[in-house]
Amino acid sequence: MNEATLAPDSLAAERDDAFRRLAWLSTVDHKKIGILYLLTALVFFVAGGVEAIFIRLQLAVPNNTLLSPETYNALFTLHGTTMIFLVAMPALFGLANYFVPLQIGARDMAFPRLNAFSFWVVPMGGILLHLSLLSGSAPSMGWFAYAPLSEKAYSSQLGVDYWALSLFVLGIGSVGTSINIIATVLCLRAPGMTLRRVPLFTWMNFVNSFIVILALPVLNAGLAMLLIDRRLDAHFFMPSGGGSAILWQHIFWAFGHPEVYIVAVPAFGIISEIIPVFSRKPIFGYEFVAASTVAIAILSLGVWAHHMFTVGMGRTADLFFVVSSMLIAIPTGVKVLNWTATLLHGRIQFKTPMLFAIAALVQFLCGGLTGISHAMAALDWQTKNSYFLVAHFHFVIVGLIVFMIMGGLAYWLPKITGRMLSERIGKWTFWLMTIGFNMTFIIQHFLGFAGMPRRVYTYPDLPGWAWMNMVSTIGVFFMTAASLLLVWNIVASLLWGKPAGDNPWDAWTLEWATTSPPPHENFHELPPIRGRRPLWDYANPDRPDPVVGPVHAVEPAPPDKTKSAVLLFIFSETGFFLVLILAFLFYNSTPQPGPGPKELDLLKTGLFSLCLFASSFTLWRSEVGEHNRDNGSMIRWLAATLVLGGVFIIGQGLEYWGLFKSGVAVNTNLFATTFFTLTGFHGLHVCIGLIALAIVLGFAVGGEFKHRPSVALKAVGYYWHFVDVVWVLVLTVVYILPRLR
Amino acid sequence: MKTLLLSGWTSNPAAVLCCAAGAALYFVLFGASRRAWFLAAAEAVVLLALASPVNALADGYLFSAHMLQHILLLLVAPPLLLASLPPTVSFPMHPVAGWLAGVGAMWFWHAPALCDAAAASRPIHAVQTLSLLALGSAFWLQILAPCESRRLRPLPAVLYLFTACTACSVLGIILTFSPVTICSRYMHPVDRLGIAGLLNGWGMTMNRDQQIGGLLMWVPMCFLYLCAIFSQFARWYGERDAEPTI
Repeated sequence: MNEATLAPDSLAAERDDAFRRLAWLSTVDHKKIGILYLLTALVFFVAGGVEAIFIRLQLAVPNNTLLSPETYNALFTLHGTTMIFLVAMPALFGLANYFVPLQIGARDMAFPRLNAFSFWVVPMGGILLHLSLLSGSAPSMGWFAYAPLSEKAYSSQLGVDYWALSLFVLGIGSVGTSINIIATVLCLRAPGMTLRRVPLFTWMNFVNSFIVILALPVLNAGLAMLLIDRRLDAHFFMPSGGGSAILWQHIFWAFGHPEVYIVAVPAFGIISEIIPVFSRKPIFGYEFVAASTVAIAILSLGVWAHHMFTVGMGRTADLFFVVSSMLIAIPTGVKVLNWTATLLHGRIQFKTPMLFAIAALVQFLCGGLTGISHAMAALDWQTKNSYFLVAHFHFVIVGLIVFMIMGGLAYWLPKITGRMLSERIGKWTFWLMTIGFNMTFIIQHFLGFAGMPRRVYTYPDLPGWAWMNMVSTIGVFFMTAASLLLVWNIVASLLWGKPAGDNPWDAWTLEWATTSPPPHENFHELPPIRGRRPLWDYANPDRPDPVVGPVHAVEPAPPDKTKSAVLLFIFSETGFFLVLILAFLFYNSTPQPGPGPKELDLLKTGLFSLCLFASSFTLWRSEVGEHNRDNGSMIRWLAATLVLGGVFIIGQGLEYWGLFKSGVAVNTNLFATTFFTLTGFHGLHVCIGLIALAIVLGFAVGGEFKHRPSVALKAVGYYWHFVDVVWVLVLTVVYILPRLR
Repeated sequence: MKTLLLSGWTSNPAAVLCCAAGAALYFVLFGASRRAWFLAAAEAVVLLALASPVNALADGYLFSAHMLQHILLLLVAPPLLLASLPPTVSFPMHPVAGWLAGVGAMWFWHAPALCDAAAASRPIHAVQTLSLLALGSAFWLQILAPCESRRLRPLPAVLYLFTACTACSVLGIILTFSPVTICSRYMHPVDRLGIAGLLNGWGMTMNRDQQIGGLLMWVPMCFLYLCAIFSQFARWYGERDAEPTI
C-alpha cells in the first residue's frame, strides 16, 4: 500500500543508493531478482542432486548397506521436497521474473518490493528445511507426508515441523510472486501489447499464476492443520482421535496435482518460445496453445483424486476421476500437436535450446502416455506402488521440466549475461543429459513391471532387478556430468564468451529488442506492436504478420494494480478458508463426543458479529468520505471501523476465555480443534486487517491523502469486506447450521 | 430396464401445457424463424427432465437422477432458451446478480431441509423447477444475452464461468464426500414402478447414489462450464474490428 503513495523519483533515488551499498541484497530490480532466483535454484539443485546420487548409489546393488534405512528415507524426502519447491519452482519463477516484464515491454514487475520479499522467502524456506538436519532429525516421511506417519506419534522429532514450516513460507512466497506476475501482465503491458498478442511464455505464466494462487493455499491450510496436530496435540489426521488420515491425502493432492502443472505449464511456455524461433516459423495455432492452457489449468484443479485410486474411494468416485483425468490428455495433446506442426516444414536449426526442446517434447509425450495409463484405475492399482510410477513422474518432471529449464537457460542466458554460451559444450551437455536421463528412467518402467516397489531403501536380489538398477544408477552419472558441464559453460561464457548482441537467435519477441543485458529501465524505446512478433514486423515491413485483434480499437485503461493485487490475494485466501470450512463441516457432520457447537453462546457472538458487520458499513462511509475529498469524515468513519473491529476481536477473546475456563482446549475433541482453527485463523485475518486499517488511518491523519487520491483505503477496504464475508460463512457454518439439525 | 424405459414416462400435464403455452407465446411474439429450433431444443430438454424416466427416477428413487434433472434445468435448457430469443429482447441484469442466481440456485436447493421439501411436496417441486429455469436464465444471460452488447466481455466471462464452476464443484465435493445423507427422502423409496430390483441390480446403494449425485455436479457440470469457457476464447480470438479490446 505504501508503495503506491511513494513518488517514483524517491523510489529511484532510494534504489540508486541501495545499488551502491548492497546491490544484490537490497535489489528490487526484477532482473536481479530473477538471477537470484536462478542462483538459489542452482544451489538447491546441487543439494537435491547429491541426494539423488546417494539414493541411486544405495539402490545400485541389491541388499546394499551404504545408507541406513533412516538416512535413505531422509534423503528421499529431502530430494523430493527440494527438487519441487526449491529447484523447479524458483528456477521457473526466476525465468518468469526476468522475462515476463521484458516480453510485455514493462519496466519492472508491478510490485518490486513484494517481488524481493517473495524471492527472499525462498532461501529462508530452504534454510528452515535444512535446519531440520541440525536438529538431528531430517524429515523422513516422504515429500507427500502421509498421515499418520507424519504425525507426532510416528515422527516424534522436529523434522516434520521444519518441513511443514518451510513449505508454509515457500507457499506464501509463491502466492506473492504469482499475484505479482498477474498484476504485471494485467496492468503494465506496453501500448499495443494486448492480451491477445502476448508471447506464449508470458501467457502461460499468467494462467499458471492463477493455479498457484488457488492451489498453494490449499496446501498451506493442510500444513497449518498438520502443525496444529503436531504441536497442539489435535487430531485432524489421527484416526486414533477420530480424525481422518484420508483427508490429509485429499488436501495434499488437491494441491499436489495442480502443483505438477504449476511446474509444467511454464515449461510448456519455454517450449512454445523456443520451437518457433528455431523452426523459423510462427507458432502453429497460437490460439489453441493458449486456450488449451486454460483448460489444463481448470481441469488440473479438479482431478486430484486419481492419486488416490488405491486408497479405496469406491468404484463410483474412481470412475468419474478416470474419465476426468483422461480428459486432460486432450488439451495437452493439442499442445503437443501444435508444437509438432510448428516443426513441420520449418527450417529447423539444431542449436542447443532447440535440442532440449525437441527432447523435452518426445520425453513429455512418453511421460504423458504413461500418465494416461495411470488414469485408468484398474491399471493404476497394479503399477502405482512400483517403479513404473517413479519412471512416469520423472519423465514429466525431469524429461520435460528440467530439460526445459536447461533449454530456457541456453536460450535466454545470452540475454541475461550478454555473452554467448559455447555451442560445443552445450551439445555435450545435451547429449550427456539425454543419454543419462533415458538410461536412468526408461529402465525403471521395466523395473516396475518386474514388480520392484517404490519407496524402499533396498531390495532382494531377484532375477533382473540387479542389472536394471545398476543401469539406472550409471545413468545418474551422465546427468551429473551434464550438470557440471552446464555450470562450466556458464562460467566459461562469463569469462570468455562472445558478446551476444541484442538478438543472437534472430527471435521476434520484445526481450530481444533491448540490449543484452538489458539496461536498468529495460527499454529505451519499443518497436510498434501490432501482432505477436513485433520484431519480425519491424525487420520485415514489407511482409508483416497479420494484425492480431481489432486494429483501430481504443484500449481501455488497465485496471489499478493495487486493487487487482488485493482482489487476487482475496481469491487466494478464499481457497485457504474454504479448506478450513470444509474440514469443519466434515468433522462436525456427525456430533462429536464431548463439547459441541450447541455449547457456543450464539447470542453473545451474534452481538459481536453485528459489530463486525457494522464495521463494513462504517468503512464504506469512510470510502465515501475519501471519494468526496472529505478528509475529516474519512478519518472519523475509519476510526469507527477500527473500534468496531477491535470490539469484535475482544468478543472473540472473551468467547475463547470462556471456553478455556470450562476446559475446552484445541485438543479436547475434533469440534474444539476445528472450531479454534477456523475462528482462530479468521481472528488472525481480522487482526491483520486492523493493522492495515490502522496504517491507512495513520497516513490519513498525517494528511497523506489530502493532496492526491490514493487507492490505499479502497484496497484495504476490499480486504476488510472480505474478512467480514468470511465471518458470515463462519457464523453460518459454526454457530447456526448445527442448531438446525 | 425395459419396464423403466417404457413405463417410466410420466404424463406431466403441467409441464407439457407450460411448454405448449411457451411455444405459442413465442410464435405470437416473435413469429417463426430458424431460432425457433433452439426453443424446440430447450423444450425437449425440459420435457426430458420432467416427463421422461429421469423424472420417474428422480421422484423418490435416486438422488443422482434428481441431480441430473437439476443440471438439465439449470445449465442446459436456459442457454437454449436464450439462444432462441431475437436480439431485440433485452433484460438488464448485473453480473454479480447473475452469478449469485446460478450458483445460489444449486446451493439453495441442496440444503437438506429444502431438498427434502422439494422431493416431498408437489407445489414446492414446481416452484423449484421454475426457479431453476429462471435462475439458470439469469445466470446465462451474462454469457448469451440475445443482444450481443449486453454480454460480458470474453475475459470477464471466462472469470465468471470459472468461479461459478469452482463454486459448484465445492458443493459437488461436499455431496460426494459427505458422511451424512443430504436428502433423506431417497433413503426409503416407495417402489411405485416396481424397479427397486433393477436398481439393486445396478448396485445402487444410498451412499453410492449420493456420491454419483455429487460427482455429477462436480465433474460433468464443470465440463459444461469448460465448454462455455472455450466458446468465450473462440469469441475473443475471433474478434475483429469495431469492438473494444480488453
